[in-house]
Amino acid sequence: MAEKLEPAKVLYCGVCSLPAEYCEFGPDFARCKPWLIDNAPDLYPDLLKEANEKGVDNVSDKLQAVGISGADGAATSSSQTGGTSKKEEVKRLPGGKVKKKERQEVIIEKVVRNKRKCITIVKGLEGFGIKLSDASKKLGKKFATGASVVKGPTEKEQIDVQGDIIYDIVEFITDTWPDVPERSIFFIEDGKKVQAG
Amino acid sequence: MFKKFSLEEVSSQNQVKASVQRRIRQSIQEEYPGLETVLEDLLPKKSPLVVVKCPNHLTLVVVNNVPLFFCIRDGPYMPTLRLLHQYPNIMKRFQVDRGAIKFVFSGANIMCPGLTSPGGVLDEEVDTERPVAIYAEGKQHALAIGFTKMSAKDIKSINKGIGVDNMHYLNDGLWKMERLD
Repeated sequence: MAEKLEPAKVLYCGVCSLPAEYCEFGPDFARCKPWLIDNAPDLYPDLLKEANEKGVDNVSDKLQAVGISGADGAATSSSQTGGTSKKEEVKRLPGGKVKKKERQEVIIEKVVRNKRKCITIVKGLEGFGIKLSDASKKLGKKFATGASVVKGPTEKEQIDVQGDIIYDIVEFITDTWPDVPERSIFFIEDGKKVQAG
Repeated sequence: MFKKFSLEEVSSQNQVKASVQRRIRQSIQEEYPGLETVLEDLLPKKSPLVVVKCPNHLTLVVVNNVPLFFCIRDGPYMPTLRLLHQYPNIMKRFQVDRGAIKFVFSGANIMCPGLTSPGGVLDEEVDTERPVAIYAEGKQHALAIGFTKMSAKDIKSINKGIGVDNMHYLNDGLWKMERLD
């Protein structure tokens, strides 16, 4: 047997570097999908179908919006089809569960420590890409009190600032980090009463 | 096994002398007769063979900055998954059912029920303490490389416990390291 073994050519996904058929187990299937549709359509034929359906939905949506007389009709139909096409973007964890979309909001809470003293808890800054350790330093400096990063009951971390600063803190956050819009800051008053900052 | 593996994990890199190189080639040749014809290309005599030592008694055989084989302690040399994808027929195959795939992807060892269930395929001839390639139900390419803890006959009869140790799997540290520079 003097036959020389030829190395098999394997198509590796450009996004996750796995063999294309294993992309669904890779770290981010949603990102692999557009690559897969272009390069390996035969492996995931349902993907192609999904993409086509989405395209059809969008087209019919536009037609409906134009054709239907009356603004009300157009608004409701477009919102309906908008809802279904968003389903594709939902990230699926390996167990089949759906990862909850992380909402970008800052929650400010006041907790009483002693009878006179209280602390202000700021949660959700990391959703805006803010480094919590830097933020806590700035907060402490500005308000001349102690501020620290603390691990909350879930895995999320929060900033504890000594004293009651909820009124000044909204202005401070929007000034220091202009990315944070005022409407995404919420106070907690007796259960999540969503009082917009 | 290679869950966390990066360039920092390497404790030493040595270019080996010809006698050691010959010994390595010989043991690989015995283990994988299917590779005989291509062994000249993979491990050329002239090209410097580098042996990389890592914690946990792990040795990597590297040619041209590309890791090709690895071995634990003095165990048999096992090919990296990238090499196995190119030459799929050099190792015996086991197949696990679909449900086990996601566990193997996080480095779990392969339990007997995964191999004996309807989606699994066992190669009867495989003995214990041998390297095998793990494939998945419905997939064309190897998923992982394992070291059998029980022979195929035992796996079938006892059907309990760990059947194959998962040594190297897709997207682990060694897979991500295509080149060592």
